[in-house]
Amino acid sequence: MAIRRIRIALVLFGLAFLGLGAYVAWIWLSHKQYARVIEWLIGALIVHDGIIAPAVFLVTLLGRRLGARVPAVVIALVEGALAVGGIFTLLFLPEVLKKLIGTASSSILPQNYALHLGVFYVVLGLLTAAAILFYVRVFVRRQNLREPADQA
Amino acid sequence: MQRLLYGFRQALQAPSRNPRTAVALGRLLGAAFIICFLTGIYSHFIQDPLPGMQFLTRPVWLYQFTQGVHITTGILCFPLLFAKLYSIFPLLFQTPPIKGFLHLLERASIAIFVASSLVEIATGLLNTYQWYALFGFSFRRTHFALAFIIIGSLAIHIAVKLPIITKYWRKSTSYDDDGNLVPLPEEPDKNSRLPLPDVGIGITSRVFAWIDKAPPPKSPRLSRRGFFATVGVAVLGVVGLTVGQSFRPLDVLNVFGPRKAGVGPDTLPVNRTAAAAKVLESATASDWTLTVSSSELSRSFTRAELEDMTQYQVDLPIACVEGWSQMAHWKGVRLSELVDSVRGSKNASVRATSLEQNSIYAVTELEPNFVRDDLTLIALEVDGKVLDINHGYPARLIAPARPGVLQTKWLSKLETF
Repeated sequence: MAIRRIRIALVLFGLAFLGLGAYVAWIWLSHKQYARVIEWLIGALIVHDGIIAPAVFLVTLLGRRLGARVPAVVIALVEGALAVGGIFTLLFLPEVLKKLIGTASSSILPQNYALHLGVFYVVLGLLTAAAILFYVRVFVRRQNLREPADQA
Repeated sequence: MQRLLYGFRQALQAPSRNPRTAVALGRLLGAAFIICFLTGIYSHFIQDPLPGMQFLTRPVWLYQFTQGVHITTGILCFPLLFAKLYSIFPLLFQTPPIKGFLHLLERASIAIFVASSLVEIATGLLNTYQWYALFGFSFRRTHFALAFIIIGSLAIHIAVKLPIITKYWRKSTSYDDDGNLVPLPEEPDKNSRLPLPDVGIGITSRVFAWIDKAPPPKSPRLSRRGFFATVGVAVLGVVGLTVGQSFRPLDVLNVFGPRKAGVGPDTLPVNRTAAAAKVLESATASDWTLTVSSSELSRSFTRAELEDMTQYQVDLPIACVEGWSQMAHWKGVRLSELVDSVRGSKNASVRATSLEQNSIYAVTELEPNFVRDDLTLIALEVDGKVLDINHGYPARLIAPARPGVLQTKWLSKLETF
């Protein structure tokens, strides 16, 4: 009963906030701006559900197919590095592009973001390779040594 | 179509994609959204207060802190939101897609939540890059309105998912001894009775058969740990490599922040330049004066006259709504003494007008507690040098715990009301 009341209260609170947000947007934005916001909202769903999610799906699928030949930890490390690299690209590639286009002041986007992003990819790649090598040398070798001993 | 959706859903299954993962991430994301909402509301109302609203002047770094937290938490939301969406992606292909009116409302509320969240954080980030041309709408107004829509749809989402949230709140009761998820007893998966698409019927069936041949992950624990480790690295990376723009001790790590401490005229960043504000001539005119007026008296001060008044020195941060901030050492005249010089009331507010034209921030207002604060100055110097024109020469306002956009530069007029 308490749960039901909490759910009703949450729905009412949520509807009130949704209404307030839509109302504020309606009175503050011109029809043209309102339409543009809706374009952005629909575009966000298309970009996520139509591009990013299927790309992630394909990568995980390939990882799963490779699972028969490659250790799961190695696949997890590569997938993790790709995910981190992808998130950094989504966040900071626009920064690189805006700096190329130009800014209103020299203290806006003052850093060499293209170089930093490049260095980040290299560091991420090296760290991933090092982690894979470490895993293969230590754990896989230990496992190989254990297996003959088990058989004996 | 039902089999196709089911096939997609099955293909997307992974140990890290389960209700417990979604709940664990949802808790973090919910907390992050609430922090962003509250700090954002504070920033909004300190700029546009409702009648009767009053704001604190201490600690002096209050706005620096709240806005730094706002932007940093906003950046943190990217990996958390992507991880959350990853964890629930198979649900996109649930069958039947719509089970009834309530289910339609549920899916609609999720679509609104996802879309508004993505737009809110994406435009928020682009705003810190000052890439306004992409928007086509007023950023500030849209950001404010979408914040309410996000919190509203989040509340509805929590209401709908409350049984699942309570069931999987604790890790200890979410998994069995082998690390497998304990299913919800009241909602058996009806899809499990559906046969997989037959091999040989078409391309889709062949693809699903190819996927189905792939071995599932051997250890669900390993898969989940790998997933959370990835999320953790991404969070640490995006936050650690930007947070220095808001929190100076971490400046050395700031390689992706849109602002860098110490970069700008007189080593202090600038958002709006004198050229952009079109004050290059008016601010350097030899006949510039600062007019101070109350209902009883009006006086005009040249810069030399201001310099002849008692000078005070304060350490206050410039804290931008875009999250960056930097502490600086300011020297100038106390605003309260200027107000007293025209017999302004002790309870008077002050309207500060800039030489700047066509800007919503050309006129700003200070409530009485800011006017009477000993740290509120009409600054003439910063960090031991005469103000650079881009920092507001010949005189600018600097007050504790106020957003940078309200620290009016290129002052021309102060009026009590």
